[in-house]
Amino acid sequence: MSDNSLMKTLATYDRRWVYLVLFLVVVGPLLRPIGMPISVSPDTRQYYEAISSVEEGDKILFTLNTEFSGYNEIQAGIVATMRVFIEHNTKICVAVGHPEATGIPELVFNQLRSELDANGYVYGEDYVILGYVMPNEASVASMSQDFQGAITQDWLGRSIDDTFLSEINTWEDWDLIADFTTGLATTYLLNHFALRGTPMTVNCIGVMIASQKPYVDSGVYLAILQSMRGGAELEYLTGHPGPGLTAMDAFTFGHYMLLLFIIAGNVGYYGYTRQQRGGG
Amino acid sequence: MDTQGSREEEDKMVTMIDYSITIVGAFLAMCMFTTLYGKSSPLYALAEESYIGFGTGLTIVINAEYIWRTGIVNIMRGDYILILALILGAMILFRVHPKYNYVARIPIAIALGAQFGLSLRTIIFSGFIQQITASIVPLFGGDMMTMLYRWTIALSVIFMMTFFFYSIELKGPLATSAKIGEYFLYTAFGAIFAQTFMGRLGLFVGFMQSYTVPPWKKPILLAAMFIVFAAIVIMDRTGMLEKYTPVE
Amino acid sequence: MAEILKNRQLQIAVMALAFLLVFVPYFIEVPALEAASTKLITITAIVNAVTLILALQSQIRRGLNIVQRRQTGWYFKAYMIITMVLMVVFAFFGRETGPYHWVMYAVVNPLSSVNYGILAFYMASTAARAFRARNTQALLLLTTGFIVLLYQAPLTGAYAPWLEPIALYFGDTFGMAAGRMFLISVTVGAIVFGVRVLMGKETSVLGVGKEEV
Repeated sequence: MSDNSLMKTLATYDRRWVYLVLFLVVVGPLLRPIGMPISVSPDTRQYYEAISSVEEGDKILFTLNTEFSGYNEIQAGIVATMRVFIEHNTKICVAVGHPEATGIPELVFNQLRSELDANGYVYGEDYVILGYVMPNEASVASMSQDFQGAITQDWLGRSIDDTFLSEINTWEDWDLIADFTTGLATTYLLNHFALRGTPMTVNCIGVMIASQKPYVDSGVYLAILQSMRGGAELEYLTGHPGPGLTAMDAFTFGHYMLLLFIIAGNVGYYGYTRQQRGGG
Repeated sequence: MDTQGSREEEDKMVTMIDYSITIVGAFLAMCMFTTLYGKSSPLYALAEESYIGFGTGLTIVINAEYIWRTGIVNIMRGDYILILALILGAMILFRVHPKYNYVARIPIAIALGAQFGLSLRTIIFSGFIQQITASIVPLFGGDMMTMLYRWTIALSVIFMMTFFFYSIELKGPLATSAKIGEYFLYTAFGAIFAQTFMGRLGLFVGFMQSYTVPPWKKPILLAAMFIVFAAIVIMDRTGMLEKYTPVE
Repeated sequence: MAEILKNRQLQIAVMALAFLLVFVPYFIEVPALEAASTKLITITAIVNAVTLILALQSQIRRGLNIVQRRQTGWYFKAYMIITMVLMVVFAFFGRETGPYHWVMYAVVNPLSSVNYGILAFYMASTAARAFRARNTQALLLLTTGFIVLLYQAPLTGAYAPWLEPIALYFGDTFGMAAGRMFLISVTVGAIVFGVRVLMGKETSVLGVGKEEV
C-alpha cells in the first residue's frame, strides 16, 4: 500500500471500524482477563477516609440515583462502599431515585451476603430498603424536613415503625449520605441535606465529574468517587477485588484504542486531507 | 484474574431461570447493538419496543406505588390533608382534555410555585454564593503546588466568565480576557471530554462484564453476538431489512 | 367556575402564595408556617408523581395511532402497548419473584444498560473522526484530552506516575473552573427564569396559550 493510500485510509475510514475495534478490545480482556496494576488517585483516598470514618450505629442514607446502565459503571463503588459500612456495623437505609434502580439493592446485598451474615445484620434492625422514594425534588425535601410524614413503609409495603428508621425525623438525624448517581436526585439531596449540614459523599459517573468537583472544592461534599476507575481503586484500597478491578483491563485497552485512533486520524488529516484542500 | 465475587457466583447453583434471563437478555442486548451496523433493522425495533414497553410499565407500577405509599397510606393513617394531593393530581390529568384543560392550571400553579420555592431557596447558596466563596481563596501562602492550583482556578473562572459576556461589546482588556478565557475553555473541554469518555466506556464495559461474570455466561454472550450479527447480514443481503423495519 | 379556573391573575397569585409558603419558612422559623410548608411539599411530591401519567399518555396515544393506521411496522407498536400492560399485570403477582422480577432482569436491565453503553461507540467514533489539531484551540483541547485519557488508563497511572500530577492539574483546575463557571451561569439563569415565571411574564410554563395572554 503506497503512502498516499495509507494516508487516505487513515483520513477516511468507515466509522464502523471504530465500533468493531472498540467492541473487540473491550470483550477480549473480559473473556480472558490479564490483571493489570492500578494506581490510586488522591480523590479515592479522600473518599475512602470519609467512608471509613463512620462509627458503629451511625445512620447512613444510601441513595441509588441511577438507572441500571449507571449501575454497571459504578457497581464497584456501590458494593465496596456498602461493604465498608457493613464492616463498621452501621445502620443502612437504601433509597432509590429511579424506577429501574428498584432491582439494584437485591443485586448488591446478594454480593454481600457473607458480610451481612458475618456481622449479624438483620433486616429492619440494621438495614432497610425503602425503594423508590425520590421521584422529584419535593419528595426529597419532604424526606429532609419530615421523614416520618413522608415515609411510612419500605419497598414491599411493610411498616417502618419497628425499624431503626423510627428514630429519624429530619436531616439532622442522618450521620452520612452516600449517594451513587447518574444525575437524578443528587442535586436535591445536596440542596436539602448537604447544604443543611448532613455529611455527604458522592460516587458519580464520568460525565458528572466536572459538574460535581466544584461541590467537593467548596466543602459541600466530603469526597467524590469517580466512575468505574474510582470504584476499582476503592476495591484495591479495601482489599476486596471485584468487578471494578476485573474491568480495568478492558478499561485500559478502550482508552488506548481511542488514543491510537485519534493519532491515526490526525496523521491522515495532515498527510491527506490538508493536502487535498491545499490543492496538492 | 478470578475475583472473589466470581468464585462465589460460580459456586451458587445456576437455575433455569438464571439461564433464561441471561439468554433473553444477551439476545435483546445484541439486537440493540445492531444500530451500529448503520441501518435500521427489525431486530433493533424489537429491542427498542421491548425496552419502551416494559420500561414504561415498570415506571407506571413504581410511580403508582409511590402515590399509594406516600398519599393513600398516609391518608388511611389519619393525615387527611393529603386528600388535597389526590384532588389536585386528578385535576392535573385534565391537561390533555381538549375542552377542560383549564382545570389543570391551578394544580400546575401550586406545583410550580412550590417547586420554585424549593429550588430557589437552596441554589442561591449551592450554585452561586458557595461557588463564588470557594473561588475567592488566598492566592499567596502554602506550597508551590497549592498556589499554582489557586491561581489557575481564580484566573480561569474570571477569564472564562468574560468569554460569555454577550450583552456588551468586548474591547481592549475585556477582549484579551475573553480570548484567554476561550483558550482556557478549550483546555478544560479536553479534560472534560476525557472524563466523559471514561464514563461512557465504563457504562459499556460494565454492561459487557455482567455477561462475562460468572464464566458460564460467556458462551451465551458469544452465541448471541454471532447469531444476531449473522441475522443482520443475511437480512441486509436478502432485502428483509427494508421490508420489515418500521418507519418512525 | 370555569372563569375562575381560567383566571390568569388567580393562577399567578396561587403560584406566588405557594412559592412564599415554601421559601419563607426556610429563612424565618415559625413552627406553624413550617408545618404548613412541609405539608405543601408532600402534596407537591404526590402531584408531581401524578404528572408522569401525562407523559405516558402521549406515548400510548402515539402508539395506538400507528396501530390504527397500520403503518409499516405497526405490529411493533402493538407489541409495545401489550408489553406495557403486561408489566403492570405482572406487578400484581409480586415483585420479589415471578414474571415481574424475570422481566426486570431479562429485559429492562440489559436494554437500559445497552441504551447508554452505545454512547461509548458514538463518542469514540466522533472523537476519532473529528478531533483534528486544526488550530491553537483544537491543539489545546487535543493535548489536554490526550494527557487525561492516558492517565485514566490504569496501566499508565501505574507505570508512569509522573503523569498523575499533570493530568490531575488539568482536571482539578481548568476542568473544575469550567464546571464552576457553568454552574454559576446556570444558577443565575434559573433564578432569573424563576422570578419571571413568578411575575407572570412566562405564560407558556403555566399552560396559558398565547391567545389568552
